Amino acid sequence: MTAGIGRPVLLALALLACLVFAACAGHRWAGPLDLARALAGDPDLGARLLVAWRLPRVLAAGLVGALLGLGGAIFQGVFRNPLAEPYLLGSAGGAAIGATTALLVPLGIPSGLALGGLSFAGAWAATVLVLAVAHGARDTAGLLLAGVAVAAMLGAVRSFLMLALSDESVSLQVVLSWTLGGIQTPTWGGLGLLAGLVALALAACLPLARGLDLLGLGRDQAAAFGLAPEGFLRRAILAGAFVVAVAVAHGGLVGFVGLVAPHIARWWVGPRHRALLPVSACIGAGLVLVCDGLARSLLPPAEIPLGLITAAAGGPFFLVLLRQRMRA
Amino acid sequence: MRWAATGFLLMLVAAGPGRAEPVHVVDALGRGVALAAPPRRIVTIFSSNTELVAALGLADRIVGIDAFTRFPPEAATKPVVGGRLGFSVEAIVAQSPDLVVLTPARQAVHQILDALERIGVPALVLTSRTVAEVVGNLRLLARATGVPERGESLASGLDARLAAVGERLAARPCRRVVLVTGRLGNGLLLAARRDTYTGDAVRRAGGCFALAGNGGVPQVSPEAVFAADPDVLLLAGSADELAELVGRPGFSRMRAVTTGRAFAVPRAEFLIPGPRTVAGIERLAGLLHPGAAP
Repeated sequence: MTAGIGRPVLLALALLACLVFAACAGHRWAGPLDLARALAGDPDLGARLLVAWRLPRVLAAGLVGALLGLGGAIFQGVFRNPLAEPYLLGSAGGAAIGATTALLVPLGIPSGLALGGLSFAGAWAATVLVLAVAHGARDTAGLLLAGVAVAAMLGAVRSFLMLALSDESVSLQVVLSWTLGGIQTPTWGGLGLLAGLVALALAACLPLARGLDLLGLGRDQAAAFGLAPEGFLRRAILAGAFVVAVAVAHGGLVGFVGLVAPHIARWWVGPRHRALLPVSACIGAGLVLVCDGLARSLLPPAEIPLGLITAAAGGPFFLVLLRQRMRA
Repeated sequence: MRWAATGFLLMLVAAGPGRAEPVHVVDALGRGVALAAPPRRIVTIFSSNTELVAALGLADRIVGIDAFTRFPPEAATKPVVGGRLGFSVEAIVAQSPDLVVLTPARQAVHQILDALERIGVPALVLTSRTVAEVVGNLRLLARATGVPERGESLASGLDARLAAVGERLAARPCRRVVLVTGRLGNGLLLAARRDTYTGDAVRRAGGCFALAGNGGVPQVSPEAVFAADPDVLLLAGSADELAELVGRPGFSRMRAVTTGRAFAVPRAEFLIPGPRTVAGIERLAGLLHPGAAP
């Protein structure tokens, strides 16, 4: 009983600590008192920066991390493969084509809107294309192969677009840095929209928990328990694709989090998806919050692409956990 | 007596280094930029913008630059607010600027403009699609910084020099040119394109483009350069870099190389759209049309 209450409290405290760290970290370290003053309406330029720029970004980082953790848990459950990650079915390639177009082609609409909209559309369309090519979810191996082929084709198209649309002013760097991940700072209204999408994603994904558990027993066993595997897999993949598309639209291609967050969650709460999905989302949120704080503060005035930090800092952290786990 | 002294003081203030009245200008993106007073703390993103501000005699007002700015020396030592890994809004704000001058290249506008608008720091966006626009940027910046006469005088001088080059070359046929602006690892070259200010500078110096259809993609194969057979081969870079290029297979046998018409031109004059571009046009006109020298 104590463990049942203790875990959520511990998780909430850890998330809060990550949130405070991320809000304080930056080009200039801000103390919690600075944050409080800024929120109270201090007119100083630094305080305005905290409220209008840093805080929305920090909260967006947490939400993107939650989506990556959730998406990773769904795809690992769908493919019954611990190496599955959220970008497995071509969503990264599709999103990158959308982002390349938004970043290098003058479209006459606000850049933030174009970047988010087109990368979302690209990610979603790529996964739907993979599903269509592989005749739905009849065969997961076929689905994976279709994902690999579509990703390769989309990668080639993106590389061509990058070369064709770049110029002397190093526009290639714009796309490259997007592919390495980085949280787009939303307005407070945009943050509200993102929070709404995350709530929608959770509402769409949490009911999949029982089906994912049954799927873990094997297709035949799942069918024996009354699950229609093909229809369920298609639903789960589309829900996962939505989760990932929202994440890439706001954070670019942030690697590693979607792979490791579900593992850490599984070690902590076990394989049952009812607990695994929300806990994986929370762990993803914490990881991205901390990594984004590091990305903004390690090498001022530069900002290190978030995807590099998640892999470089998250990798050793994950290896230590893995080693402890294997020793146990 | 007291009124007379006050009047004299007011006259002194009015004749000071910058006009104190509010300024409203429209930038290259069509945005209205309102400045309550001439800016005293300016962050310039990109070398070109730093050079423009410094050319107006306002280098002492610059409080932040990007990591690639090398000129002029008095501005190159200012605090750095960004570089190869992008730009930091927080580093810019740390300098408490009252104006940020930037250009839509790399990630500058995408990363910075939205943030500055949200926190209320004025930002002026400049573009440089033609040489005329580069000179016009001086006038625009001068109005924004409260020194319009200085900007007009400087820009008129540059216009006059450009007109003089144009007059000297008016009756001369253009020289077919390939201007190499970069070399890629896979052997491809980057070539100046027609629809850029660099292309405009080449035209104003009496050159025309030897590469067919070089309006869109800047990467060209050496084979296309050989086939174009330009009268003059130009490289934006050093003499050593030119020697490396013309030593590559195929280049040494190009007509432009065998006739001694391969030249290196300073990158700063053709790839940084600022006042030095006009000197570059004068220099290039002399290389392409030696008989038309003043």
